[in-house]
Amino acid sequence: MAEAVTVYTLRLGLEGAIKDVKIEAPAGEPRPWDASAQLRVIGHDTARVDGHLKVRGAAQYTHDVRLEGMLHAAVLRSPHPCCVVDSIDVEPARRRPGVQAAIAVAKAGDRLLFAGQDVAAVAARTRAEARAALAAIKVTYRPAPFVVDTAEAMSPSAPVVHAAGDAVTRRTEGDEPGEGSGGSDKGNVRTTPSMKKGDVQKGLRAAELKHEATYTTQCHTHSALETHSVVVRWEAKDKLTVWSSTQGIFSVRDEMVEIFDLKPRDVAVITEFMGGGFGAKFGASAPGSRLGWIAGELARQAKAPVSLLLDRHEEHVCTGNRPDSIQRVAIGATKAGDLTAIHVVAHGSAGIATGAGVGRNAFGIYSACPNARTESHDVFANTGPGTAFRAPGHPQGAFAVELALDELAAKSGLDPLALRLRNVTHPVRKRQLELGRERFQWAKRRADADARRGRGARVLHGVGVACSIWGDYGRKGAASVTVEVGRDGSVVVKNGVQDIGGGITTVLAMVVAEVLGRSVADVEVKLGRAEFGPSVGSGGSQTTSSVAPAARNAAEQVKAQLLEIAAKALDRKKASEVTLGPDGAFKAASKSIPWADLCKKIPGEAAVATATRPGNYGTAPLNLPSGQSYEIAGCQFAAVEVDTWTGVVRVPEILAIHDCGRAHNPLTTRSQINGGVILGVSYALMEQRVMDRRSGRMLNPNLESYKIAGARDVPTIDVVLTEVFTGGNSTGAIGIGEPATIPTAAAIACAVRHAIGAPVRDLPLTPDRVLAALGRVT
Amino acid sequence: MTDRPTLTRRGLLRGLGTATVVAGCAREPSEPATTAPEPPADLPAGATAIGPGPAPLRLQVNGEARTLEVPPSTTLLVALRDHLGLRAAKEVCDRGACGACMVLVDGEPMNSCMMLAHDGEGRELTTVEGLAPAGELTALQRQMIAHDGLQCGFCTPGMVISATALLRRGGPVDRDAAEQAIAGNLCRCGSYPHIVAAIVDAAGQGGTHG
Repeated sequence: MAEAVTVYTLRLGLEGAIKDVKIEAPAGEPRPWDASAQLRVIGHDTARVDGHLKVRGAAQYTHDVRLEGMLHAAVLRSPHPCCVVDSIDVEPARRRPGVQAAIAVAKAGDRLLFAGQDVAAVAARTRAEARAALAAIKVTYRPAPFVVDTAEAMSPSAPVVHAAGDAVTRRTEGDEPGEGSGGSDKGNVRTTPSMKKGDVQKGLRAAELKHEATYTTQCHTHSALETHSVVVRWEAKDKLTVWSSTQGIFSVRDEMVEIFDLKPRDVAVITEFMGGGFGAKFGASAPGSRLGWIAGELARQAKAPVSLLLDRHEEHVCTGNRPDSIQRVAIGATKAGDLTAIHVVAHGSAGIATGAGVGRNAFGIYSACPNARTESHDVFANTGPGTAFRAPGHPQGAFAVELALDELAAKSGLDPLALRLRNVTHPVRKRQLELGRERFQWAKRRADADARRGRGARVLHGVGVACSIWGDYGRKGAASVTVEVGRDGSVVVKNGVQDIGGGITTVLAMVVAEVLGRSVADVEVKLGRAEFGPSVGSGGSQTTSSVAPAARNAAEQVKAQLLEIAAKALDRKKASEVTLGPDGAFKAASKSIPWADLCKKIPGEAAVATATRPGNYGTAPLNLPSGQSYEIAGCQFAAVEVDTWTGVVRVPEILAIHDCGRAHNPLTTRSQINGGVILGVSYALMEQRVMDRRSGRMLNPNLESYKIAGARDVPTIDVVLTEVFTGGNSTGAIGIGEPATIPTAAAIACAVRHAIGAPVRDLPLTPDRVLAALGRVT
Repeated sequence: MTDRPTLTRRGLLRGLGTATVVAGCAREPSEPATTAPEPPADLPAGATAIGPGPAPLRLQVNGEARTLEVPPSTTLLVALRDHLGLRAAKEVCDRGACGACMVLVDGEPMNSCMMLAHDGEGRELTTVEGLAPAGELTALQRQMIAHDGLQCGFCTPGMVISATALLRRGGPVDRDAAEQAIAGNLCRCGSYPHIVAAIVDAAGQGGTHG
């Protein structure tokens, strides 16, 4: 049966190339905001509506929850990278001061697979008492052979981490939709389905220019400032409330429902504020620690609320990471620079987990290349599980393919930017690269840097460019947003989404204010609780595009109800004769009625509507090669300074050019892009999980030797938004969170190659590696 | 600065000796020490030993005198968060590497996780909750909102404290000075450029008040 549709002719496309496009939207869908829409609130810099709570320290995070009678939990973790538990006795811990409950998480006979895995847990009156009591738990471990190094784990003689088929793939809303899973194991290596088009071997044979090399990237921990944390209170024997520092309120609820066999409506989840996630915070538990069960079971046994907050060491070892990679890249091109083949064979370790693929960069960006193939392999090792981390796979994939392209260009005397422009087909990406060439003064900077190198300067300069690829993954029907206008004129918008820091709270207020002719301050936003209605996780760059269009649709329905009331009040036959102005007044011909007076005429308590959003109905100007969603383009240009005496790399400037559809709040959009770039700089130059091969433990599980970028390490960031009107949903939102961090490290690595005339093929670009590339150390 | 002897957390760890600390990290059973370490020879007359159990303490926080009873091993951060209900300062690294727990101690920004609560006695302590009267914001706080100098907000109280210390010193503030002031504060969301802009603009508007 064909669904009823409404046909709209919209002004769509990229600024400067806007065209009339016919869109078929489901009946009832409001006319989407296109390039010709005149908007009063959306698209204007708007301060966060909850900013005052954050700057006053009044925002309540899970870390700050204190409940009457609340106990504090601590977890005993395996000191061995691989062992069998021969016996475990938690009884002595129960007798320690302050302890109210103690549970074994591992059982005798269990094989534990990484240092930091759950063994047992206690709840006590204070955190200090809980931690002290762990020492009383008696566990006998039988250490077993282990491997923590990815290359070593690939060897046929390495200890096998998982018995065949035992590794379970865990996917979350932080993973990129459509990415494949499953595969076959050989030793510690699991081969996952490859992405391919054409015939890379044929393409390489036909190439006049060839380049082949191996690139490696490091393991990178999320290091959100608020550690994974959960507070559980049983309200009755089959009813509980959970406070969770999470990116997905409903993923927390579903996990608790499953663990404790409860009904969804009997699990309340609260996330008023959360201190960062970056992909690692889905579900009640952490990827490598059963926090939800531990806190819930301790609370059940102690008959008291339990708070379980991980410390920084635990956060590094058992809550996820961006897997490392070893990528063999072969590319071929004609002398003129037309790519004939891109072939990537990647191995990476997500520790005991899966998900070490390297994304679609090599496959999807240089789309003029007829032959492309990316083969990804998961390598199991005795380290904490990897998990989705802001653009899973992409920064590592971008680094390898973009630096390989620059090496090919250097061998043949081609300009790296010209090479890219020849091989991209996405019109927005092409425009972005051209725009960056001018704005960044690419040719002049390259010439200046070349001259500087020719003079033999100590500090060399270089420039580089790299691209990002992501999809518009806004989800159909996933978020139900409710808008209420009360008889007192108040406006409330409600949804069970959480604000990870991207600013969805403010965007919801803006969308509703836009539709109802109110100011942003007039709209109360209620989120952070499951009871406010179904919603999506803050992952995959899908929050705004899933929630904002649903909010608009709900607000439009409420507006329609108000227009009906206004028509009566203004003696009109039809609601269509009445308009709602930006001042909130309802007008028909010369008559008008102010907002407050009209609201008094609402029958009952309030005018209420709940709505969702349909699937994407427009994808101008280009789809992803593999699906129905719009492909989001971006590119970044980096300038670097390399001290050839010390090997230290500085990044004074990044130009970040990104498409994020209609930027609903450009102020917070720029914040997100700055954040993506800074994460990328930190990944490129500083961050690295260091595992001790002898003990199998992490050597830097802290924030003083696991270095993350501070204020003095960050470049000047020039953000340019190339707005694209896709016509995909009613507000024109698409995502930005992930794309902003994809190309940064790659662009920096390309700039370093340009500066010193030699590639550094391993991340992070530390001084020892730079000096080795310069031939100054061996 | 006072010249009275202070018990710092680093000093305490040094005093305990590396072996004890390492054993503690490995979570070996640790029994209470049966022999107290010798007090330093230069302990001034009249000084008394406290602990290991809770000992009474008087703190001057945000202009108010507060009394509490905590063991001498309690950090100022834990005293503020768990005993005084002031939870703006956050525990992130618990070892002075991130600045999320910064408070003003006699006007100087300090990591409260690196200071023992009992060493706060006789000092003027200020947390973010005490920077502006209820319902009001300082110029810096207003600029932090206007420039969007925050995302998830978890580092924000520490950032505000570090920047407030700079602004209270007075004088012109450029980007370099602002970056220097927050060099000990980590922000994982990457809000530094907007925070620096907020600090510079707040300085242009006459500092932290008004």
